[in-house]
Formats: sequence, C-alpha cells, structure tokens
Amino acid sequence: MRAAGVSVVLLLLNPAASLAQVSVRGFGDVGLTVFNATQSFKAILGKPSGPVFGGGVELGERRFFVSLGAQRFRKTGHRVFVFENQVFPLNVSDTITVTPLELTGGYRFRTSGRFIPYGGFGGTWVRFKETSAHSTEADDISETHAGYHVLGGVEVPMQRWLSAAVDAQWSSVPNALGNSPTSVGSVYDEHNIGGFTLRAKIIIGR
Amino acid sequence: MFLSKTAGVLTIVALAIGAVAAQDAAPGLRAIVSDLAAPGIDNGVRMSDAPRPPRPYPTDLSSRNGMPYLRGSIAVKFRPGTAPAAQQIMIDRVGASAMDVPSYADFNIVTIDDTTDPEAAAAMLARQPDVEYAQARYIMHPMFVPNDPLYVQQWNFPAIDMEHAWDLNPGATSSITVAVIDSGVAYRSVVRRFNASSWRGGTGVTVFNFPALGPIDVPFAAAPDIAGPDRFVAPRDFIWNDTDPLDLDGHGTHVAGTVGELTNNSIGVAGMAFNVRIMPVKVIDSLWDDIFGSPFQGTDDVVARGVRYAVDSGAKVLNMSIGRTGPPSPLLQEALIYATQHGAFVSIAAGNEFELGNPTTWPAGYANSIQGVVAVGAIGRDRQRAFYSSTGPYVELAAPGGNQRSGGSSGGILQQTFDLPFVETYQFGPARYGAPRFDVFAYLPFQGTSMATPHVSGFAALLMQQGITSPAAIEAAMEQFATDLGPAGRDDQYGYGLINPRASLRGLGLAK
Repeated sequence: MRAAGVSVVLLLLNPAASLAQVSVRGFGDVGLTVFNATQSFKAILGKPSGPVFGGGVELGERRFFVSLGAQRFRKTGHRVFVFENQVFPLNVSDTITVTPLELTGGYRFRTSGRFIPYGGFGGTWVRFKETSAHSTEADDISETHAGYHVLGGVEVPMQRWLSAAVDAQWSSVPNALGNSPTSVGSVYDEHNIGGFTLRAKIIIGR
Repeated sequence: MFLSKTAGVLTIVALAIGAVAAQDAAPGLRAIVSDLAAPGIDNGVRMSDAPRPPRPYPTDLSSRNGMPYLRGSIAVKFRPGTAPAAQQIMIDRVGASAMDVPSYADFNIVTIDDTTDPEAAAAMLARQPDVEYAQARYIMHPMFVPNDPLYVQQWNFPAIDMEHAWDLNPGATSSITVAVIDSGVAYRSVVRRFNASSWRGGTGVTVFNFPALGPIDVPFAAAPDIAGPDRFVAPRDFIWNDTDPLDLDGHGTHVAGTVGELTNNSIGVAGMAFNVRIMPVKVIDSLWDDIFGSPFQGTDDVVARGVRYAVDSGAKVLNMSIGRTGPPSPLLQEALIYATQHGAFVSIAAGNEFELGNPTTWPAGYANSIQGVVAVGAIGRDRQRAFYSSTGPYVELAAPGGNQRSGGSSGGILQQTFDLPFVETYQFGPARYGAPRFDVFAYLPFQGTSMATPHVSGFAALLMQQGITSPAAIEAAMEQFATDLGPAGRDDQYGYGLINPRASLRGLGLAK
C-alpha cells in the first residue's frame, strides 16, 4: 500500500513515467563513518570513525527514487576521565551502538555514459545505545534522535539485475549527546551524533 | 580463644628469652630483644568496656612542654647558590650553634639557644634576602578524637556505595603503594627493650607522678587483619631515625586499616583498597615514644622529610591523617608540591577543631592551592558534617569520619588497632601504670577527620589502578563526581561533597 503511495509520488514528480516503469530494488552496503562528535568518539573508542554495515530497499523510476535504509555501527571501547584535555581510559568497557534509519528522496542524472550520478536528501532517525560493564538499567542509555542527511554518489550498472554504487553522505542529528554531565559529549561540547559516511553499495533489481 | 592463650604463652616465652639475651636499654634508645615474637592476639570486637577517661597530658616531657613547637632549633631554607659562608653569617645573627642538613630534605635545621624564641629567630632569618623561608618546628599530632571502645558495624562503606565500587575495582592491586604517614603501623612482630623514664601528667586538675619503669621489654606484633605476605614496603621511622616504624599509639594502625584492611578473608572488617601495599612512615611521636625518650618529635620538618621519603620510595598515594594549628609551614607546602610533581596524590585531614574556634589546620590549609592534594572533612552516619570537622575554603571533600555525638555508640569508624587497655596503662593513674603491650588487638571505633582521610587515600589508590595516573586528575575525578552535600555547589563544610567512588571509577561515557 505504502509502495503504491510512493509510486504515485514518483509519477507526480515525473509525469512522463508510467507505473510500469517503477521498479523496486534492494541493496546492501558497507562503509566508513566519521562521526561529527570527533573528540568524544575518539576518547571512548580510540578513534572517531568506524565501519558501518547496512541495507535497504529502493523504489524508483528512471530519474526519481525513494529509498529506505538502515545501517549499524557497533564498537566497544572504555569509559574515560578527561582532565585538561588529557584522556584517561578507565578499566570499564563501554559499548556504543548507533543504528540510523534513513528515508531518502533522490534524483538520478541520466547521462550518455556508463556512470549514473545521483543525489538526495531525507530524514534520519538514529537509535543510540550505550552500555558499560557493571552498569545498571539507570546507567545505560537507549534513545532515538531525529535529524537529516544529504548524499551524492554514482551508480554503475554491472549486469541486467546488478549494479554497484559509491556514495558519500553527511548527516546531522543534533542534541543527541552531551546532555548528561557524566558524558564526554558535555566535556567537549559535542552534541551531534551524525557524521560523514562513505559507502559502497551492491544493488539488486532492475 | 585457644589461639589467643597460645599466643600469650609464646609471648611470655619470647620475653623471657629476650630478658636474658638483651642488654639494658639506655634512655632514648631502643634495642631489639627478639624478632621471633609471637603473632598478635586478636581480642575481636569488645562489647562491654567501660568508658575510658581522656588520656593524661604530660607536662614535663621535652616534646610536650606546652608549646606548639620545639625550642632550641628552627628550620630554614636558603636560596639556591647561597654560599656556605653567607649562610653562616646569617645564622650567626640568631645565635646559631650548628646547622644540619637532614636526609630527605631540602632545608636545614639550625640549632639555636633554648632561651631564644624560635618564632622570633625564624622571622629574623626569613627577612634575609638569601633565605627562602624560615620557620619554627611546629609539632604535628594525629587528627582524631579519642573515644570509647564501643563496637559497631562498618556503616561507612555502604555510605559511599563501596560495594558497587568494588565491583568496578576490587581493592586495587599490589602495584599501588599507599604511604601511611602517621604514628607508625603495627606491621611486624618483635620484642624491643626500652627505658621508660618517670614523667608527670594528667587531665584537668588531676596530675600524677608516673614512676620510671626502667628497662622494659615491650612486645609488638603485626595487626592480624592488616598484615599479609609482602604487604608492607619500605618502612621508615623518622621519630627513632631507623627503618622500624613501630606504632606505639594505635592511630596509624587504625588509619592503615581503613586504607587497606584485608578483606574477604572471613576475619574482622574491610578496607577501601585491600590489595595495595602499605608503606609505614612514622613521623608522629606518641606518648610512649616520648616516655621512652625518642630522639625526634613530629615537627613540621620531620613530617616534610617523611613526605619526601615516601615519594622517593615509590608511594603513589600519601595518607596524612595528621595536622596542627598555628602559622603556615612553607617547608610542608614545598613537600606537598614535591609529592604531586613526582606523581603522588596526597589526602590530608581537614582538622578536628571546629568547636575550638575553627582555626586553619596545616598542612590541610594548602590543599586548595595544590592540585593533587585534598583536605578531607568528616561526616557522620547521618551524612551531616561531624561536630568536630573543621571548615574553611581549603576543605575539598568529605568522607565518613564518624560522629558519636549524633550517631551514638555506633557512629565511629571501626577498624583493627591495639586493644587500648594494653597500651594506655597510664589511663587510670600510677596505680595501674605499667609496661605497654603492642601485640594485642581489637576492633575499635574511632572518630575524626583522621578516619575520613584514609577513605580518600584508598579511593585514590582505586582510581590510580583504574587508569587515572595524574594526582591532579585524581583530585578532579573525585570532586567532579562527589555527592553534593550542604549548600549547592562547593562549600566550606563539605567541599565538593561526599566522595562517590563508584561514579568516579565509572568515569564518563559517550552520552552518559
């Protein structure tokens, strides 16, 4: 039902297309995210970046598309104490899980060449979880925060049902960190859990 | 019971052997009679002792002449590069007869005439351009309020949520050494011969003449619930100037227990950082030290040397449950700075003089100006400032120190120390006065900022083990996570609040 609704939107955006031209494709991706809260992630995890894995579904016609994707970042570091910019890792493990759900509307630039550039923007909802050793329920955190993202990339058709793509995405999810005085986010005044992500995708479908 | 009796018999045998083997001790000297003494006797928690009267105050012993400082000498530090001849000219102006450079010190001890006012002499020297500082040798004392030996449970650890803190860090490890800079520690078994001279002292208007006991053999034993294999490291005694810092008081042993009483051993009580090594550094003379004629007293310079010794010998945490009122002490200030610059954290008792005019206690008064040094106030079981706990801008943290005025008999801090009737034989006058024993132990509740301070020292050891290696950062971690008490924010009663070891040991997460 929802797919039909999205199809109608796509047809409205491009009246020349017909319903028969709307296709559904699935994709899987792997990438690297550098978080906006660079110092905070570096303090806890040792570096501000890490691999992300995800997948999703895309509904589109020749030029316009809508995609719904999810990714997951999970890494374990240590809780810390920060004093005068010196970070002291404590002997308490800390696991961070970031799961963004992204709804993107985009446009493909049809060119005569083999490569198909595309761009888009949309909403981001991030599920953020943090848990540490010997923690209680009150100590752990599991929250959802909303933001937005923009992306651009290029798609390369490989076979009739198979394409590859590479894209870069920047997202902003404000006010997600640093609300607690016992957070490195507050120490570094970093509150945004978005970031820059470089992804490689495999797309299956016509 | 059987073990206690057996230990007692062994002690008597050891004493008998020692009496034959050793020479009589001269005044001011102490000789080892036997280092094969029996283990300590543990009398457990004693429930029905009558209240003990205050300790008699000696009036004629050299160190207790009623003055807060020694006569006959002062401490002075010359600026670097001052020629010896120039130093001599300066000290001649105060009638100095000699000048020594003690070990573990960057200052000199200048001998002056007994009739010269040390404060005036120090002030005169301090005005010389080549003198960095000069001061009288003020006498330190333990920061606890003597109390009755009633026996209670340890409320102090739950009060700071230690059970959860130990989940995060179970008592640190032997890689951390905590120096107990105090009256010594009951750290080993030995029988020593002393010569106890006569003295005069008492409480209030009642003054007694205590007779000379002559050469007496005094048994010592390691506190059973503190001592263990490789537990003690680099012991040093600056009161007797040797390497055998035996506790002749009980204060240092009680304090050492709160720092690191053996825990999970099915015996007695617990300690904060029960796996650390303890460095006994004796810088405070007890009444028995004075009766036995110890060559040194616990003056500022002796304490400063103890601080430097502890740091140079590898201690990473220094517990100073000691202090005095009076003027500041530059040489103590420099010793504390030396400690933090060499990676050692220092916790100091804030003082017990709130109801005595609330004067500033030193060296605690320096704490708020040196990062990595904290002054610790005391709370009672009701989480309110204890009635005695001094207040002021230098108070930075609060910890359980006990308050028997509001908490009743169970309001003290319970740890193992000497069974005091065996030590304070002078307590009830000359009729029951006799040789002390330092090999009989009991679990006694004390109260004082002395008792609060080792909570912070043990806490510092846990933080150091947890990964915070800088003294200044340890102080910041304690203060940032302290539970605010009293007026919101830092205040002069509780400082930043009651220590919260679990929160500090957890530190900061990404978002919480």
